[in-house]
Amino acid sequence: MHLTKLSEAFLRSAAYERRFLAKNHWDFSMVVWIPLATVLLIWWIFSQTQITDLPIGVIDQDNSAVANTAVRYLEASPTLTVRQLYYSQADAEAAILQRDIYAVVIIPEDFSRNILSSQPAPLTLQVNAQYGTHSGIIQAGVQAVASTLSAGVEIKRLVKQGVAPSQAMTAYAPISVQRISLFNAATNYQQFLASTVIPALLHILAMVIGATTIGRELRDKNIGRWYRFIDTGKPHLTLSKTSKTTSSLSTKQDSSNNKTSSSSAKVPHSVSLSVLVFGLLGKYFWPILAYSLWSALILWLATSNQNINIMSLMAVYAGFLCLMVLSFWLGAIFTLNSFSLRMGLSTTGFISAPSYAFAGVTFPYIAISDSAQYWSNALPLTHYLKLHIAQLQMQAPIAISLPIVYGLILAAIIALVLAALLTKRALAHPERWGAR
Amino acid sequence: MSAQSNNTHSKATSTITPASQSFWTSFIQTFKDVFGDKGVLLMLIIAPIIYGFFYPWPYSSEVVNHVPVGIIDHDNSNLSRTLVRYASASPYLDTERFINEQAAKEAIWSDQIAGYMVIPTGLEEQVQSGEQAHVSVLGNGGYFILNKNVQLGFSQAVGTVSAGIKVKKSIAKGAYASTAAQNTQAVPLRIMPLYNQTEGYGAYVVPAVSVIILQQTLLMATAMLIGTWYEQRRHSTSVRGWLGRIGALSSLSFIVGCFYYGWAFELHHYPRGQNMLGTLLFLALFCPTVATLGCVLGLWFRQRERSMQILIFISLPIFFLSGYPWPADQLPQVLQVIRWLVPTTPAINTSVQLNQMGASISQVAIGFYALAGLWLLYFVLLLFLRKRIPQRKAYL
Repeated sequence: MHLTKLSEAFLRSAAYERRFLAKNHWDFSMVVWIPLATVLLIWWIFSQTQITDLPIGVIDQDNSAVANTAVRYLEASPTLTVRQLYYSQADAEAAILQRDIYAVVIIPEDFSRNILSSQPAPLTLQVNAQYGTHSGIIQAGVQAVASTLSAGVEIKRLVKQGVAPSQAMTAYAPISVQRISLFNAATNYQQFLASTVIPALLHILAMVIGATTIGRELRDKNIGRWYRFIDTGKPHLTLSKTSKTTSSLSTKQDSSNNKTSSSSAKVPHSVSLSVLVFGLLGKYFWPILAYSLWSALILWLATSNQNINIMSLMAVYAGFLCLMVLSFWLGAIFTLNSFSLRMGLSTTGFISAPSYAFAGVTFPYIAISDSAQYWSNALPLTHYLKLHIAQLQMQAPIAISLPIVYGLILAAIIALVLAALLTKRALAHPERWGAR
Repeated sequence: MSAQSNNTHSKATSTITPASQSFWTSFIQTFKDVFGDKGVLLMLIIAPIIYGFFYPWPYSSEVVNHVPVGIIDHDNSNLSRTLVRYASASPYLDTERFINEQAAKEAIWSDQIAGYMVIPTGLEEQVQSGEQAHVSVLGNGGYFILNKNVQLGFSQAVGTVSAGIKVKKSIAKGAYASTAAQNTQAVPLRIMPLYNQTEGYGAYVVPAVSVIILQQTLLMATAMLIGTWYEQRRHSTSVRGWLGRIGALSSLSFIVGCFYYGWAFELHHYPRGQNMLGTLLFLALFCPTVATLGCVLGLWFRQRERSMQILIFISLPIFFLSGYPWPADQLPQVLQVIRWLVPTTPAINTSVQLNQMGASISQVAIGFYALAGLWLLYFVLLLFLRKRIPQRKAYL
C-alpha cells in the first residue's frame, strides 16, 4: 500500500467531514460549542470552592450564659449559620422538612447546671442525613464547636482545681492529634469535583460523537459512498452537493427516495483495512482536534493555581487525549456493532452516563461492591481519573502513573483497529444499512 | 433486528395517516406508536427499569468501613503499641505498619492506603512527664470520604487512649473513678441522623438520581417519538391532540415512576414511602411537565436520534444545579436563577422531601408551584413552535 494513498484517504475523509460539519449546526455544536460550554459551566458551578454558611436552627431550652456562648460559637463557625432560634421541637422539624434549615442543635434545660456541677452536659444535633453533603459538613462543624466548648469548660475547671494554666491544656488532652490533609488541604471542591467531573462529561460527549460520526453514514446509507470517496476521490464532493444537503436534514423519505435505487451500486468491491484506518482517522480528525483543545483547557483550569511538574502535566494530557480518542472509537464500535445509530447511542449513554458513579471519586473505589468493581475496572474513565488525581492532586512520582498512560494508548490503538474491522464488516452488509 | 424496525418505518412512511386531532384518538395513537417503536419503548420503559438496578450497584455496601491505612511507629513503647492496637480495632480502619513516611506516601500514591498516622519518638516519655504530646494523622485530601474516615478512625482511637491516661491521672490525684471517667468530655455531642438514619451513600444519592433517570429517559423517548413523527410529517395536531400525546407519554412514565417509588427503593432498603399520596401527586405533575418539555425538544430537534445525541450528557450538570449534592446558595447568582428552567430543580427536592423525609404537601408547595409553572411555560413554547413549524415542508 502506497503511503500517498493512505494520506489521501486521510485528507479526503477529513475534507468530507469538514463539509458535513460546516452544514450541520447540531453536529458542529457537539464538537465545539457544547463541550466548551460544559467545561466552563461546571467550573463556574464550583467557583465558590468551599461550602460555607449552611443554615441550621437552635432550640435553647437553657437560656444561660454558657448556652449563649454555644450559640455564638455555632454562629462563628465558617461552615454554619444559625438561621433562627426555635421554641418547640415541632417548629424546628417543620423547618427541616421545608429545607429552611438542615439541622437543629438542641441545648437541654439542664445544660449549664450540668456544667457547673462537673457532669457531662450533652448537646444534641438532629441533622437531615438525607442531604449527605450538607449533613457531613454540619456534623463536622458542630462537632468542632462541641470540642471547643469542652476544652474551655475543662481547662477552666482544671485551673479552678489549682492546675497551672500552662499545664491545663496537657492535662485536658494528654495526647493531641495533629490532623493534616495531604493534598487539597483546603477541601477545595473545584479541585475535587469540577476537575474530575469535566473529564467524565467530555468522555460522554466524545463517545456520543464517536457514535454519530460513523452512525449517520450507516443511517443515511452513505457509508459505501464515503468509502469510495476516500478510496478513489470519486464522486467529487461538489457534484454530490444536492444529495448531501437533503441527507443532512435526513428525513426518512429523502434518504430512502435517493438511496434505495442506488444503494447496492454503492457497495465497494474490495475494502482495504489500512485505507479504512486512515479514513477513520480523517473522519474523526476535527473532533480529535477540538477535544484536544478542551482537554488542554480543563487541565489549564485545574492546574493554574498550583505548581505542577511539567512532566506530570504532559503525562496527564497524554492520558486525557487517549481517553478522548478511545471514547470516539468506543462510540463508533457500539454503533457499528449494532448497525444502528440509535442503538449505538443507547449503548453509549448506558455505559458512559453513569461511569462517574463507578469511577470511585465521590464514593471510594474500595467501598464499591466487589462485583461492581469489575465493571468499574472495565471503564476507561476509572483509570484516567486515577492518573488525574495521582498526578495533579497528589503530585505522585510520574513512574507510578505511567502504566495507566501506556494502557490508555494501547486501548486506543486496539479500539481503532476494531472500529476499522467493524467498518469493513458494515461495508459488506449493505442490506443492513439505514436502520433507525 | 434493526433491519426489521427499518421495515416498519418504511411502511409507516408509505401510508401517511393524518395525525389524530382529538384527545383520545391522539392518546391511543401515541400508545400504539410507543409500543410499535423499539427505540422509544427501550428508552421510555426498559432503560429506567434497568437503571433501577444498575445505578445503585456500586453503592450496595452503603457505608465506607475498613479503610486501609498505615501506621508509622517511631516510639515503639508500651503506649505507642496501645495506640496501634486501638487503631486496628477501629471499624473505620484497616491498619498496616510502615517503616517510614516515604514508604507510606508511596502506598498512598498507588492507592493502597488512604492515609497514615505517625507516632513520634519520645511520645511515652512526654506523656509520663506531663508534657504536651501529639501524634500526626495524614489523610489523602484527594478523596473526601476516605479522608474523613481516616481522620475519624484515628482521632477516636487516640482520643480513647488519651482519655484513659487522663482518667488514670485523675484517679492518681484522688478523684473517684466514676467521676473521672465521666469527665472525659465536658460537652459531648449526640448526633441523631434524621431520615437516612444509617447515613448510607446509596440511600442519599439514589433517590435523587432516580428523578434524573426518570426525567432523562422520558425526555429522550418523547423527543425521539416526536422527531420520528416529524420525519414522517405526522407531527402536527390540534391543541387537544398534543394534550392527548402528553397524557399518553406521561401515564407510561407515571407507571415507571411507581416502579421506582414502590419497589426499587424498597429493594435497596432506602428510606421511602413517608408520604405516598404526596409522592403520587408529585409524579402526576412531574411526568406531564417533562413530557411537555420532551415535545418541545422533539419539535426543535426534528430528528429521531437527535434527542439522545444532545441530551445524554446533561444529567450530571443538572444534578449539580439541583441543589441536592451541592447547596444551591453556593452557586453563582446567575445559575441560581437559570437552574429553575429544568424540571429536576424543583423535582429532586420535592420528591426527596415527600418520599424520603415525609414532608406534607403544603411544606413542598413551592416545588409544586414551580413544576406547574414550568409545565405552563413548556406548553406555551409548544404552542408557539406548533405555529411556527410549517405543516408541510416547502420543497416536498
